[in-house]
Amino acid sequence: MKTRILTFTLSIFLCVAARAELKWEQSTIDLHPSVSDKTAVAHFKYQNTGTTPVHFKSVKASCGCTTTQTQKEMVNPGEKGEIVATFTIGDRTGQQIKTVTVQTDDPNPAQATSILTLKATIPQSLDIKPAFVYWQSGEELKPKKISIKATKDFPAKNITVKSNSQNFESKVEPGSASGEWTIEVTPKDTSHPFGTALLVQTDYPKEAPKSFYVNLQVTNPPGAPPALKPNAPNAPAVKAATPPAIPKASPSAGVER
Amino acid sequence: MKLRAVREGLLLVVLACLPAIGEGIYFRDKISWQSSIPASELVTVDRARAWGDGAIWVDARPDEEFARDHVPGAFSLNEDHWNELLPQFLPNWSPEKKVVVYCSAESCNAARDVAKRLRDEAQLKNVFVLQGGWEEWLKKSR
Repeated sequence: MKTRILTFTLSIFLCVAARAELKWEQSTIDLHPSVSDKTAVAHFKYQNTGTTPVHFKSVKASCGCTTTQTQKEMVNPGEKGEIVATFTIGDRTGQQIKTVTVQTDDPNPAQATSILTLKATIPQSLDIKPAFVYWQSGEELKPKKISIKATKDFPAKNITVKSNSQNFESKVEPGSASGEWTIEVTPKDTSHPFGTALLVQTDYPKEAPKSFYVNLQVTNPPGAPPALKPNAPNAPAVKAATPPAIPKASPSAGVER
Repeated sequence: MKLRAVREGLLLVVLACLPAIGEGIYFRDKISWQSSIPASELVTVDRARAWGDGAIWVDARPDEEFARDHVPGAFSLNEDHWNELLPQFLPNWSPEKKVVVYCSAESCNAARDVAKRLRDEAQLKNVFVLQGGWEEWLKKSR
């Protein structure tokens, strides 16, 4: 009888003791990339504080813009490691929240799935409002205003505005405060649809000035067929068609919106 | 008598808050940080399809996924190449058209983010997020 009780107690003890447990140093990481950064990298450090090895079953990011790297497939008891999540900033701005879901072979379902959060605050350099102005076909040739403000982290003092199109006239006026401007754009003709983009370049950062775009458009009259043909159904092409004329930024310039 | 009722009420509120706070702390990593999309900004596949030519479809998924397959007639517009893709999309937009943005599935955020930028930066009106995304569109197309 005593042996039975001992065996029972021991088996219960072993069941409790033989556990795998991945402890994360931080499951949420805040990142503050600089204006010139292309990626934001988060290192999620872990340790197996259990008594049995942990195997990673899957590591999945919530978005195609984030890639993950695990150093190993199995983590022995006491062993440390990290999962590296690299978030490609692309043309994103503001706060970006991306998650990485990690699944392990932990028998406890509550422990088997961990959600790691990467919060990246991408500095906004220029606040352009609106970034798209349009006139309807046949509309009066009235000027429209675009307000531009440099944010506090982006001390641009001057901007230059370029356009490849002869169909619009643009005029830049300094605003009431430093780092503020107004662009006034007037189409020369609204009898037919066309579009272009204004290239706005700043004098900051000096070594690689930033470029931004403001899209201008004279739209189709209501009910008219689209100006550009979208990709054919199921076609492998990525781009829709020839875009309207966009002035090219200098090779060293970064591009952002 | 009144004071006792207030005291008991307060005690009940505190007791109700305790498990909620505990759950909040325990599941802090599982709390969704993404705000849900208001119902007025969502559109079902059936409704969006019924708009016919009055709708422009925008694919917010990464380039590779768009290249593999997409809603017929959709334009690729993702945040990886926003500056390059936006000028390709805009000539096809007109004020009376509705814009339907989709990403992979219900759980993805790309469509919501692209729709927000179209509303905030380009100041377009009638921008909707497709409920269930590409996954739902595929299901309804079978």
